[in-house]
Amino acid sequence: MQGLYVHIPFCVRKCYYCDFYSEGGKLHLLDDYLKALLTEAEQYRGLTFDTLYIGGGTPSILGAAALEQMMRGLSGCLGLSDLEEATIEANPDTASSEFLRAAAASGISRLSIGVQSLNDDELTRSGRLHNATQALKAIDMASGCGFDDISADIIVGLPGQTTKSLENTLCSLSHSAVTHISAYCLSIEQGTEFARHPPSGLTTDEEQAELFELAARYLKENGFVHYEISNFALPGRECRHNLNYWRGGEYLGLGPGAASHLRGRRFKNAPDLQKYIVGPLADECESETLDVESKLAEEAMLRLRLLEEGLDIAELEERYGRNNVGRLLARLTKLTDAGMLVREGKRYRLPPAMVMVSNRVFTEIIN
Amino acid sequence: MNNLRNFCIIAHIDHGKSTLADRILELTGMVRKTSMDQMLDSMDLERERGITIKAKSVRIPYKAGDGGEYILNLIDTPGHVDFNYEVSRSLMACEGAVLLVDATQGVEAQTIANANLALDAGLKIIPAINKIDLPGAMVDDCCLQLYSMLGLSIEDILLVSAKDGTGVIELLEAVVARVPPPSGSADTPLKCLIFDSFYDAYRGVIPHLRIFTGSLKAGDKILIKSTEKIYEVEEVGYFSLGLAQCPMLQAGEVGYAVALIRNAGEIHVGDTVVSSDHPEELAIPGFRMAQSMVYCGVYPIVTSEYGKLGAALEKFKLNDSSIVFEKENSAALGYGYRMGFLGMLHMEIALERLRREYEQDIIATMPSVIYKVFCKNGDILMLDNPSKFPPEGNIGHIEEPIIRTRIIVPSAHIGPCMELADAKRGTLVGIEHPDDRRAILIYDLPLADMITDFYDRLKSVSRGYASMDYELNGYRVGDLVKVDIIVNNGIVDALSYIAPKEGATARGRALIHKLSKTIPKHLFKIPLQAAIGAQVIAREDIFPMRKDVLAKCYGGDITRKRKLLEKQKEGKKKMKMVGFVEVPQEAFLSLMKIED
Ligand SMILES: Nc1nc2c(ncn2[C@@H]2O[C@H](COP(=O)(O)OP(=O)(O)OP(=O)(O)O)[C@@H](O)[C@H]2O)c(=O)[nH]1
Ligand code: SF4
Ligand SMILES: [Mg+2]
Repeated sequence: MQGLYVHIPFCVRKCYYCDFYSEGGKLHLLDDYLKALLTEAEQYRGLTFDTLYIGGGTPSILGAAALEQMMRGLSGCLGLSDLEEATIEANPDTASSEFLRAAAASGISRLSIGVQSLNDDELTRSGRLHNATQALKAIDMASGCGFDDISADIIVGLPGQTTKSLENTLCSLSHSAVTHISAYCLSIEQGTEFARHPPSGLTTDEEQAELFELAARYLKENGFVHYEISNFALPGRECRHNLNYWRGGEYLGLGPGAASHLRGRRFKNAPDLQKYIVGPLADECESETLDVESKLAEEAMLRLRLLEEGLDIAELEERYGRNNVGRLLARLTKLTDAGMLVREGKRYRLPPAMVMVSNRVFTEIIN
Repeated sequence: MNNLRNFCIIAHIDHGKSTLADRILELTGMVRKTSMDQMLDSMDLERERGITIKAKSVRIPYKAGDGGEYILNLIDTPGHVDFNYEVSRSLMACEGAVLLVDATQGVEAQTIANANLALDAGLKIIPAINKIDLPGAMVDDCCLQLYSMLGLSIEDILLVSAKDGTGVIELLEAVVARVPPPSGSADTPLKCLIFDSFYDAYRGVIPHLRIFTGSLKAGDKILIKSTEKIYEVEEVGYFSLGLAQCPMLQAGEVGYAVALIRNAGEIHVGDTVVSSDHPEELAIPGFRMAQSMVYCGVYPIVTSEYGKLGAALEKFKLNDSSIVFEKENSAALGYGYRMGFLGMLHMEIALERLRREYEQDIIATMPSVIYKVFCKNGDILMLDNPSKFPPEGNIGHIEEPIIRTRIIVPSAHIGPCMELADAKRGTLVGIEHPDDRRAILIYDLPLADMITDFYDRLKSVSRGYASMDYELNGYRVGDLVKVDIIVNNGIVDALSYIAPKEGATARGRALIHKLSKTIPKHLFKIPLQAAIGAQVIAREDIFPMRKDVLAKCYGGDITRKRKLLEKQKEGKKKMKMVGFVEVPQEAFLSLMKIED
């Protein structure tokens, strides 16, 4: 299993909470960027991939023509003909029907829409550029264009959010064509507008935990499986590209700020659009090759995020050798004794009560 | 030897000693232009806090106005009262002292205290008023204060600006003219005093020596009076801006010796060193022992590193001879050491040095003073650790240490200072009026109250103008109780403290509240209680953590996620496990941080 991630580091404007690497209002650099992107891709000519994920930023900002051009370019040098899954992210304000049709025609099968909330007040206060009606319309359009897999991102703990408003958002989504929901807890990250000007109406950790648990309960009742800490899907509709991350798999990331995991090495491009355009190949900012012990710990931590699938220690032993797994196993046993994990045969899982405090468990697992 | 001048610079804190040393180094050509201010404050902690912690000596060749070539040995000393042991030891290596007074502040408490130390040691004092470049300089007032408060003659006072160099050459001339050269003959048997030392990983203990008589060179055999141990000297030298090797040290000089002294415990500051050919030479009286004021337990975070901590303390003691330590153990924290310090700042600095320079991961417990406990069975116990107190029922009464403090304060601020001293259980002993603008308030005050935040509060109620000095002045009966802190249903002995019965409940509540904010949330509820005997006086719960989850998965950026977790884990490593609860260092200091 090998994934390809393509980063589109452009947004119309930065949302107040967002610390993903993307630049607001720099669309004039788009052509240069696509050129640089293909230069980087060229380096990996011949690699084939099982999944594709075009994320951002705001990929829907590309518009139909640029998207088609990019897809042609990428397919020209990378093996993208046997994709099991191809996702593109879109924001409701830029997801035109023309764009959606172009995406479908380029072989993209899955759409991930940045809904965040279906409450207009919450959207405005977070600096989103669309309202609830536009978001629902984007979902309908996507479905009309033939997308069977539609995911919606929502944020728990937005300023002004209440149990009621969250329930409304969830209710509308579960009655729409959406098959997958990613729910993230709001956190105030350095360098964001929210960090500079803290908004009023923020939730406490307790309230956020309650909101999240409410969401998890609601979605479960409506047929969604809580398959990863922040992700819910109708049966069979999990995101395969992301599953590969959580299973410790390999992937290539293209574009500034994109992370890769290839041949045992983790590396990352510098998050700097201008520099990337000038020299897309000279841009690596972090790189590490983990020793077995760290690699194991990392994989354990990732796999435990998968609430249903969990961590199969027998399978780890097979791949890494029994001896190497010993120390990890000791830690897992300790955590299980403390009630922080549950064990079933050789499989470990994060119990529901630990989902909201999973970092506690993970800090015990990494060495 | 007649061209040798050993002198130190003494003053109240911040009056400009280290800055004056900078100018002296420049004007004598020792350094071209000091690349940084207070260049003798070379320790990281000194630079971070802008204060001198260790006394430092430098030998400076100086060509005087009369054409004579002199060798000056300058010692820059710290001004803060907590480091005054550094001053008193430095005095033993000097014949003279430059007494600086900040022209905008006037004579303050440590001006007087340090001047008296120097006078008692028989040093020639050269008074100098500093910072005369500042618009607020009150030169005449300062002169009068030096006269009225210390009996110094006004015509002897020099005026300098350590900042712009004005008057510094005149000051050096005065040192040459007024400070006597050291007496003592180089031809009599060796006798020297260890006034400081440090540990070098390759060369062992390196003592700093003041040679009183005789001479010392490589190949000589020396004998340490206190242990009778004999070592062969490998190298001698003096302090330039680093160590400077030289062929020989002679009577009157200050320098160091390398003699392969392997173990930290083999030598003590204050020991006398003589020649092994003349073991009959008598020991020099040495120094009075430093009087510890505050004690706390110091425990390794990882219990098994107790031995390493002991070795580090031995080495640290060489460089800070004012600390004391002995083994102790705590039900909650395991094996560790009880350490004594000269004050809260000293405690803070010493612990930080242990962490940084000696790489010890430690946790320090609630500070305490030494109480005198009179038991009903007639025993009298001196206890520096509340957890060692006998059960309440066995105690007849408790006495606590009292300090006599002299607070120098401008007349305008007398009221608030007296209110503060009263609130801190002080008894007014007297008021002196050295001149018509200032008063000296003399109070007897429980030491325990003084160490918490008295000095900071005094500064703030007097807008920075009051200063104080103090000395221990016996014991007084106190209406005191022991307060236990119960965390997660178990008493944490390392958090127990002694408090006046009056107000104990309010303080207990404040402390519990503070603890509930400093101990991080856990996965389970942690009840916190304060109790006197069986009676609970305060209670609060730390509610379980509800959310500790990284917001996003950051796409495929697993490294970032792992690094965030590693950082979180690092934070946990700085905490001490007490039962099932992780307790951070701040928790043990929270009693000190309560505002009443
Ligand atoms: N304007 C002016 N400032 C001075 C003068 N001398 C020292 N200062 C300033 O006073 C402050 C304290 O100076 P230091 O030399 O660190 O004082 P110190 O006496 O060594 O302080 P401790 O060692 O902590 O007791 C610094 O900010 C100096 O820049 C002076 O002559 N004029
Ligand atoms: S949340 Fe999405 S649309 Fe908003 S700034 Fe971030 S990447 Fe751009
Ligand atoms: Mg200084």
